[in-house]
Amino acid sequence: MKATSLVRSTSARRALPFAVATVIALCFSSAAIAQQHLSKRYQTGKNVRIELRNISGTIVVESWNKDEIRLSATMESPNAHIVPKQMDESLIVDVMNDNRGRGDVGDVNFKLQVPVSSSVDLETRRGQISVSNLRGASVRAHVSTEGDIELTNITAGQVVAQNTIGNIFFDGEFSTGGTYEFKSTKGDITIRIPGNSAFRLVAASPARKIALGEFWNNGFKTQDGRRYVGDVGDGRSSVSVTNFSGQITFLRK
Amino acid sequence: MNCEKCQELIHDLLDGTLSRPDEFALNTHIKECLDCESVRQDLSAIIGFCRSHRGEYDTPPNPQALWLRIRNVVEAEAANVQVRAKAPRKSLLADLMGRSWELSLPQLVSLAVAIVLLVSIVTVVGIRRFGNNPTTVEQPPEQASNINERVWQRQQVISYWKQRVELNKARWSPEMRDTFDRNLQVIDAAVTQSLNELNRNPHDEISEQMLNESLNDKLALLKEFSDL
Repeated sequence: MKATSLVRSTSARRALPFAVATVIALCFSSAAIAQQHLSKRYQTGKNVRIELRNISGTIVVESWNKDEIRLSATMESPNAHIVPKQMDESLIVDVMNDNRGRGDVGDVNFKLQVPVSSSVDLETRRGQISVSNLRGASVRAHVSTEGDIELTNITAGQVVAQNTIGNIFFDGEFSTGGTYEFKSTKGDITIRIPGNSAFRLVAASPARKIALGEFWNNGFKTQDGRRYVGDVGDGRSSVSVTNFSGQITFLRK
Repeated sequence: MNCEKCQELIHDLLDGTLSRPDEFALNTHIKECLDCESVRQDLSAIIGFCRSHRGEYDTPPNPQALWLRIRNVVEAEAANVQVRAKAPRKSLLADLMGRSWELSLPQLVSLAVAIVLLVSIVTVVGIRRFGNNPTTVEQPPEQASNINERVWQRQQVISYWKQRVELNKARWSPEMRDTFDRNLQVIDAAVTQSLNELNRNPHDEISEQMLNESLNDKLALLKEFSDL
């Protein structure tokens, strides 16, 4: 009897880790099932415009070599409702409007693959925005509260990036005659551009944390280090950078 | 005495101016003639009525209206006297304007040259005095109070949107509420910092720019979240 009970006890001890692992796996799988996923494709031309209004969650936009848009969205809450609208050469996704009266819909994380020449207008109340490899007419990224904005390998005639708390990173080129505006209340703003860039700069930081690096020249006028105004090269484009308490840094790539 | 002579004398009889012989003859006839007696009675009744009601059919005098008329006349006369006494003398300009001018051609040319010279002198003096150094134009002393006034006005609008946000805040998730409050505090800190700087130096353009942008950001944030 003792030998039999000992064998049973040993088997139970061996089975215990498997049972725990199984329960954990089931928990994760149920969480995965609770998250809804949306994926759609839209046939477009080359110069398409995407407007995305999110409430909370990340937005990732990257280009691909196709004349179509692929939209993927992961919704934290099953209550979330997303109805993208395609009109002519534009795609509009308005999470705010689609979920009016539904209460808190949690995070909705988007990933969009778009043609290279696309223009994007992205907004979210909270969350990170990342845009890469675009050569369209305009890029606008607006985070109402907190979330980093990362614009990588961007060539556009108009770029606007604004948040309240969070870093802003721009890596790209300034087009001739283009306008570029970067603004953060509390966060670092870093701009990485080619050494031969030509632009007129107005940079303001009450915290006096402005580093123009190789782009500084004697033509710049400054007001006790809080604001720099001047031309780099022939000033063909207009750049405005405002930061209340963070660092403004210009880097050469 | 016949009736015709009798009726002629009846008036005198009633008036008491008839002589005694005529009165005797008349009374004798009247006693014998009913027609004349009737005429005498009628005339006597008419005269008696008129005597008893003498004065009743005159236009009744209205002392109040009469007094008013008198007073109006007196006052009108007094006002005329005052107006004549206070009438201003014609001003020189009115006198000149009222006068008809007849200028000869040389006089007109002289007048035009004089006006052109006067305008030129005033223009040159004005440009020399005020035109060459715009940076020396002093800032209005009420600039600080203007900033406070503008801030106060913006704060009123902000208060309205803040109330709207507060109404909806209960529907947000706790994470969203925390995020909103944290970011509003950051913007408020920027507003306070700019205001403090402006209190130290009311003419600081950068602080004013920062203040405006902070207030705009705050308003934009509230508007966006009022819809959430």
